[in-house]
Amino acid sequence: MRLSVVAAISHGRVYRRFGLSPRSRLDLLRNLVTALVRHERIETPWARADEMRGYAERLIDYAKRGDKDERAMRMADFWLTEKDLVHKLFKVLAPRFQPHPGSYTRLLQIPNRDGLDRAKMAVIELKGNPLPPLVRPRRDSDKTLLNQLLKGYRQDAQRAAAA
Amino acid sequence: VLVLVRSPLPRLRALLQRCWGRLDRGLWPGVFGGQSPPWGPAVAVQGPALVPRGWSDAEAPSPLESVLWMAAPKQRRTIEVNRCRRRNPNKLIEIKRNIDVCPECGNLKQKHVLCGYCYAKVKEETRLIRMEIYKKEGGPFNTPTVETVVLYEGEKPTEKDEGKRIIERARKRPSWFVQN
Repeated sequence: MRLSVVAAISHGRVYRRFGLSPRSRLDLLRNLVTALVRHERIETPWARADEMRGYAERLIDYAKRGDKDERAMRMADFWLTEKDLVHKLFKVLAPRFQPHPGSYTRLLQIPNRDGLDRAKMAVIELKGNPLPPLVRPRRDSDKTLLNQLLKGYRQDAQRAAAA
Repeated sequence: VLVLVRSPLPRLRALLQRCWGRLDRGLWPGVFGGQSPPWGPAVAVQGPALVPRGWSDAEAPSPLESVLWMAAPKQRRTIEVNRCRRRNPNKLIEIKRNIDVCPECGNLKQKHVLCGYCYAKVKEETRLIRMEIYKKEGGPFNTPTVETVVLYEGEKPTEKDEGKRIIERARKRPSWFVQN
């Protein structure tokens, strides 16, 4: 049981500090969540994207409960500042992610920002969005040396087993 | 060789007593040459009166006491020593070994980061798609409550695209945007 809070030591604190105050941090993250639900893919500093990811996924978990649920509606009302996105959340995103148990977002790092600060940037997107894909899944080519050697070994093994 | 260390105190005390005795009786002519000894009864005075005269007259502290002493290097560091310090491995920029070639475009990329060229391509295409979306929606806060699908020139919506909002792009489908 915590009898005192030592302000100078931050062992075990998981939340990053953003903005001017805790309230400002929540407003910042709320803006990012709204932008993600609206555009389905946003590019922001990596720390903000990482922090926002948890909140966005929990919001979708709440939305999966259905819009009749009082808590889900209050959460959506707080976290989405543009109220037409509440409709999009419950009618588009919740059915889209119904079969998936979790991890509705993808976080990828991009080259550092071009400005003076060279900040570490990331792009965060909802899975299943209609936009062009960021990373193409690479199937291993059969023509690489290792795969040719393995193929030869497999053929030798089959010939030895047949004979 | 055995060295014996004798305690000097009793012998020294005996010697001093003999010397003082001889001086008092005047039996040590080599000290003052027969004149009266300079030591007579003396006045025992307290400490501060015996302070030498020169110190009580000085009012202003000398500049050597009022200046703040700070550390400064005593010798010039030679160029050899400087080179050793400047070129020590912990001062050099560490070499990155996580740079690879992007298999799509052939530009260099870091292993855990997306390729800059490919991402710029995707970003530009996304921007054009979003412009089409804004034109279709007309104004702000008009997000539809259905999914969206992007179709390029000469493409028809399939049965999977039933009930989705269609965004038309006036160009050929790029090779890296595979239609699902």
